[in-house]
Parts: sequence; structure tokens; C-alpha cells
Amino acid sequence: MTGAAASANGSPGTTRVSIASGPLVGPVLRRVVGMLAARADLPLDRLDDAVLVADLIASRAPAHMQAASVDVDLQTGDRTLSLKVGPLRPGGGQALIVDASVPGVGNVIEQLADDISVSPDGDAEYLVVRLAYSS
Amino acid sequence: MRAHAFTPTLRAELAQIGATPSPVRLSLPAQPRNIAVVRRALEAVAEELALPRRLIEDMRLAVTEACTNVVRHAYDDAGREEASAMRVDLLPSEHGMEVIVEDRGRGLGPSPDAKGPGLGLPLIAALTSALEVSHGADDRGSRIAMSFAPASIGAA
Repeated sequence: MTGAAASANGSPGTTRVSIASGPLVGPVLRRVVGMLAARADLPLDRLDDAVLVADLIASRAPAHMQAASVDVDLQTGDRTLSLKVGPLRPGGGQALIVDASVPGVGNVIEQLADDISVSPDGDAEYLVVRLAYSS
Repeated sequence: MRAHAFTPTLRAELAQIGATPSPVRLSLPAQPRNIAVVRRALEAVAEELALPRRLIEDMRLAVTEACTNVVRHAYDDAGREEASAMRVDLLPSEHGMEVIVEDRGRGLGPSPDAKGPGLGLPLIAALTSALEVSHGADDRGSRIAMSFAPASIGAA
């Protein structure tokens, strides 16, 4: 399976949420992320962090998506939640990270995520954000 | 819950994104734990639309039944982990919402692990204002399209 095909079908165990850009992105994404963060057994403060990251992605990602929807693949692990956002326009991954800066606070995603990476895939790219908790 | 005054504005915004195939689509493995994810997304959309609480409760029950059918009957162990094993579309409509639950499993007909007709579909029919059960895309799997409108409250 090619990378593009894998992205289209999703990896086994992945939850994919696709929300048309507009007023439903924030409410739906924050609830789904909160639910999966709880399933990943993240403690309450990290669950809040995950929801905050979801809110930022919801508000900033539409400007960088290839399509008129915000698409996020979510995968849970042992006290880990990964969000894969895309397909994004070329350069959209880094632009989305930069856009996550809040005046007076700094870059929220960079401060809250354990790992951030941008992975190219053909004409598109994906922003992968991982939140974890290690006791 | 948001004030009802918010609803016309939201509906106008949603009307502008009508060209999108589905305002909200979830693609998930057909696992029992994922039914809760669907319910949370459903609640989010319904509450943003300021739908009546009783209608939301009916929707939660009907959609839970539809997803439970997929989890219990659609797959043997091989296919249920695929991300596209269960697909749920949430589509706000003029007066309520349409929800489509689709799978790529064994399709319509008696399930080998069921002793007889269950209560799921009759219950869903009682809770919806319109119900359509058919084969999924490419005649594969099954598709349940449920329409919910305030007029259907308490029809059960």
C-alpha cells in the first residue's frame, strides 16, 4: 500500500474524524480528542492539554488544509495520544505550527506536545502531534 | 446548552458548506469502545444545533443501536480493526439531523451469531422520523440512514 493509500484508508486501530471547515470543527474535534485522551489514560492535566491542542488545530488548520475539511487521524497508545492532521498544503505543516502561537503565551502546540513532526506525502504533508504522560 | 438564538446563524454557516459530502464524518474500527466516540461527536453537533434535549437522547439511543449492530454482527475478527470498518456521517438538516451508519462487513441478512430478529431496528424505527436500511457502497456491507426531527420526539 502506498503512503497516500494508507492515509486514505487509515492505519488499523485509527479513528479518523473529518469535519467540514466551519462552526462544527471545534466542538466536534475537542470532544473526540477529549474522549480518546481519557481512553489513553492521560491524567486530567494532560487531557486538558490535548483538548487545548485540539482547539488550536480546529481554529488554525482550515487555512492550511488541502480540502475544505479538517481531517485528523487519532491513535491511542499506553498513555499516549497521537494526532495526524492532513492532508495539508505544501508548507502547511510548518505554517500550522507557527500559527499556533498565542500572543503573550507563545507557541501552544510546541509547549504542550511531546513530539511534533511534519511528514511529506506526495503533494501533501501531515502534521503529527504526540501527547504523552510518563509517570 | 447554547441559546436557541444561535441556531439560525449556525444553520446559515452550515448551508454555506453544503457542497462538502458530509459536514462530519467519523471512520473507526468496529470496536465497542468506539461507540462512545460516535456518541460524543453526535452530542457535539446536536448541541451546537441547539436541538431539544429529548431529541438528542433519542438520537443517542438510535445511533448507539445502529453502531452496536455493526460491532456485533458486521464483521468476523479480520475486518473490524480497519479504520473504515464503521463509518458515521452526521448531517445537520433543515429541522434536525440525519445520521448515516455504514459498514463494509457481511451485509444485510441474518447474522450467524444471532438467535432471531433483534429489537435494534424496530427501536431505531420508532425513534426516527425516517429510516432507510440498504446495502452499503458497491453492494458491500450495510447502510442505515436515520433522520431525526423534533416531531419524532416520543414517537416510541
